Amino acid sequence: MRFLELASRNLKETYRDPLALGFLLGFPLLFMLLFGAIFSGDSIPNYSIGVIDGDGTPLSHSFIDEVLTEVPTLEVANYDDTATARKDLKFGDLRAYIVIPQGFGEQVSQNWEGKETNITLDITYDESDIMTSEQIISIINTVTRSFARIEIPVTINANPIHIETEITFIDFMGPGIIVFGLLILIPTSARIMVSDKEKGFLSRLLTTPARPLDFISGYSLCLVVIAIIQIVIFIAASWGFGMDIVGSLWLAFLIFLLTGLCSIGIGMVVASLSKNENQAEPLCWLFAMPLAMLSGCWFSIEMLPSYLRIIAYAFPYAHTIESARAVLIRGVGLEAISSDFLFLIGWAVVIFAIGIILFRRSMRS
Amino acid sequence: MSLHKVEPAEASDDFAIQTFNLTKIFNRLVAVDGIELNIKKGELFALLGPNGAGKTTAINMLCCLLKPTGGTATVMGYDINRQPFKIKELIGVSPQETVISERLNCWENLSLIGKIHGVNARELKIRSQQLLETIGLTGRAKDQVRKFSGGMKRRLNVMMALIHNPEVLFLDEPTLGLDPQARRAIWEYIVRLKGEKTILLTTHYMDEADFLADRIGIMDEGKIVTLGTSTELKTSMLEKHTMIIYAWNLTQKVINEMRSRYAEVEVTNGTMIITDKQLDFKEIVDRLHSSGAVIRSAYIKEPTLDDVFLHITGKELRE
Ligand SMILES: Nc1ncnc2c1ncn2[C@@H]1O[C@H](COP(=O)(O)OP(=O)(O)OP(=O)(O)O)[C@@H](O)[C@H]1O
Ligand SMILES: [Mg+2]
Repeated sequence: MRFLELASRNLKETYRDPLALGFLLGFPLLFMLLFGAIFSGDSIPNYSIGVIDGDGTPLSHSFIDEVLTEVPTLEVANYDDTATARKDLKFGDLRAYIVIPQGFGEQVSQNWEGKETNITLDITYDESDIMTSEQIISIINTVTRSFARIEIPVTINANPIHIETEITFIDFMGPGIIVFGLLILIPTSARIMVSDKEKGFLSRLLTTPARPLDFISGYSLCLVVIAIIQIVIFIAASWGFGMDIVGSLWLAFLIFLLTGLCSIGIGMVVASLSKNENQAEPLCWLFAMPLAMLSGCWFSIEMLPSYLRIIAYAFPYAHTIESARAVLIRGVGLEAISSDFLFLIGWAVVIFAIGIILFRRSMRS
Repeated sequence: MSLHKVEPAEASDDFAIQTFNLTKIFNRLVAVDGIELNIKKGELFALLGPNGAGKTTAINMLCCLLKPTGGTATVMGYDINRQPFKIKELIGVSPQETVISERLNCWENLSLIGKIHGVNARELKIRSQQLLETIGLTGRAKDQVRKFSGGMKRRLNVMMALIHNPEVLFLDEPTLGLDPQARRAIWEYIVRLKGEKTILLTTHYMDEADFLADRIGIMDEGKIVTLGTSTELKTSMLEKHTMIIYAWNLTQKVINEMRSRYAEVEVTNGTMIITDKQLDFKEIVDRLHSSGAVIRSAYIKEPTLDDVFLHITGKELRE
C-alpha cells in the first residue's frame, strides 16, 4: 500500500523532529500547567458553606459561632433544613453544607473528659468540583479536631452529590486544553504538507506511480495518528490534573477525533493555497488564534456578544467543547449531544472534501 | 562505448523517448521551444547547455511533472499527456535539486521510493546494499541524511532514481557538486547501465558528456542547436583550425603578411593565434623563422567540446 509507506515516512519525519513534537504536545501542556497554577494557586479562597445544626446544644452553637465562623477562608451561613441548603448548593451559592448530627456536643464533651468518642460530621458537596470540596473537607477536619482536642481524625461522612453547574476550573482545563491542542494541529498539518511541496520532495514523489489520493491519505493518516496521540495524552493529563470523567470516554474521544479531522482539513486547505511555509504558517495562526478565542477554550463563550457567538458556532471547536464537557463532566449520552455530533461529522466531511479538491489541484500545477 | 549500433531507425518501437514539437512557455518566456528528439532504447543521451537553456524544463515534461504548452512526447511508447502513470512506472528521476527526506536514513529513503514502485523487500535489500556500496555510504546507511554533507546527499539523490531498476533514467546534473572521486564512482555506475537502460542526462561538464554520452544535444534558449556524437561534434569543428605560436621578435611586417594569408590572426604579447580552414604548420613556422622571429613553441589546437559549445552558443559553460 503506497499510502501506508507515505504515512510512515511522514510520521518518521515528524517524530524525529523534537521541535515539532515539543510544539504539538508541549505548548498545550504548558498552557495546562499555567492554568493549573492560576486556578489552584495560593490566592485566598473564600468558600461559602452552609451549616445545619442538628444537635442544638451549647457546644454545637459555640462550634459554629466561635470556630467555623472565625475561619478566614469560610463564609458560613446557617440553614434550618437540608432542603434549602441543597437548593443553594445546586444553584452554586454554596460550595458545600455541613450537617452537625445529634449527639455532637455530647461526643465532644466526652472527649474532653478523656473517654473514647466518635465525632461525626456530614458534608455534602458538588462532586464535579473536587478541588474545592477537598479543601473544604480538610479545613473543617482541622478546625473540628482542634476544637475537640483530639488526635484521632474526625469521621466525616462525605456525601458527594452530582450537580450540573457553572464552569469550573476543571471544566475549563480538560476539554478546553484538548481543543487548544487540536487547534495547533492546523499549523502542524499545513507545515507537514507545505514543506514537502516547498522542498520539492512532493515533485520527486510525483515522478513515481503514487497517485494524488495516496499522498492525501498518506498525510491524513499520519496526522490522524498524531491527533490520536495528542488526544490520549491530553485526556490523561487532564485526568491527572483532576478532571472528573463521568461520562463515556469513547464518546468524548470520538468528539475530539472528529475535531482533529476538521483541523487536518483546514490545514490541508491552507497548504493547498500557500506556496511555502512562510505563507502557510501565518495563515494558519490567522485561523487558529481567533478560533481558540471563539471556541471557549480560554473563557466561556457565554461572555461573547451574540454576533461573535454566531461565528463561533459556525466552526467546530465551540461545539466540541460543549459536547465534550457535557459528556465528560455531566455524563450525558450521544442523544443529548447528537446535534453537535452531527455538526462535527458534517464539518469534517465538507472540509476534507474541499481540502482534497484543492490539494489535488495544487499538486497538478 | 559502442554497445549498440547508431543506425537511424524507422519504427518508433526502437525509440525510448520521442518528442514532437515539445514546447513549454512560462508566461511568455519560451523555456522549451519546439524540440524534436529521438532517443533510442539503450542510448545514453546528454543534454548540454548553459543556465536557463531549458534542460530541466524539458526533463520535467518528459517525466510528467509539467504539462507541455504545445506538442507532445512519448516515453517507451506512452504519451506524456495521456498516459502519465504508465510512464511513471517505468522511469527513475534524479532531480537537479537534491531532494531527500531529511529525517530518514539512507535505507529508509531508498526503500520509500522502492516500495512506492512495488519492489519486494528482499530485492530492495540487495539493491540498496549494492547502491550504497557504489556511492560509498554503506557505513553511514543508518544515519539520518540531514547530517550528511552536500555531496553525500547528492549521491543518495542519484541512487534514489535507480533503486527500482527503471528502464528509463532521467538524471538532471547527476554529479553536481561532487568531488572527483565520487564523480568517477557515479560515472562508472552509469557506464555499467549503458545499453541496458535508456538514459537522458543533463550536465554542464564537457568531460562528463564526452565520457558518458552516445550522443550529445546542445541546447540553447529552448532549442536543440546541434546534435551528434562527441566525435561528430568535434569534427564539425575541424573545418576551423587554430594554431598557437609563442615567439619573440614578431615584426609588424610578418604580422601583416600573416593577416593577408589567413582569416583570423590575433597577436598579443608575443602570442600569435591563427585561425583558418586550413593551416600549414611547416609553412607558418618557416615564414616566421625567416622574418627573424624566435619561436619558443608552436602547436595546432585540437577542438574540445568546450570550443564546440562556445562556437555554437557563444556562451561559456558554467563550471
Ligand atoms: N516554474 C517556472 N516558472 C517560470 N519560469 C520558469 C520556471 N521554470 C523554469 N523557468 C524558466 O525557464 C527557463 C529554462 O529553465 P530551466 O530550469 O529549464 O533551465 P536549465 O537548462 O535546466 O538551466 P540550469 O542549467 O541552470 O539548470 C529559464 O529561463 C527559467 O527562468
Ligand atoms: Mg536545470
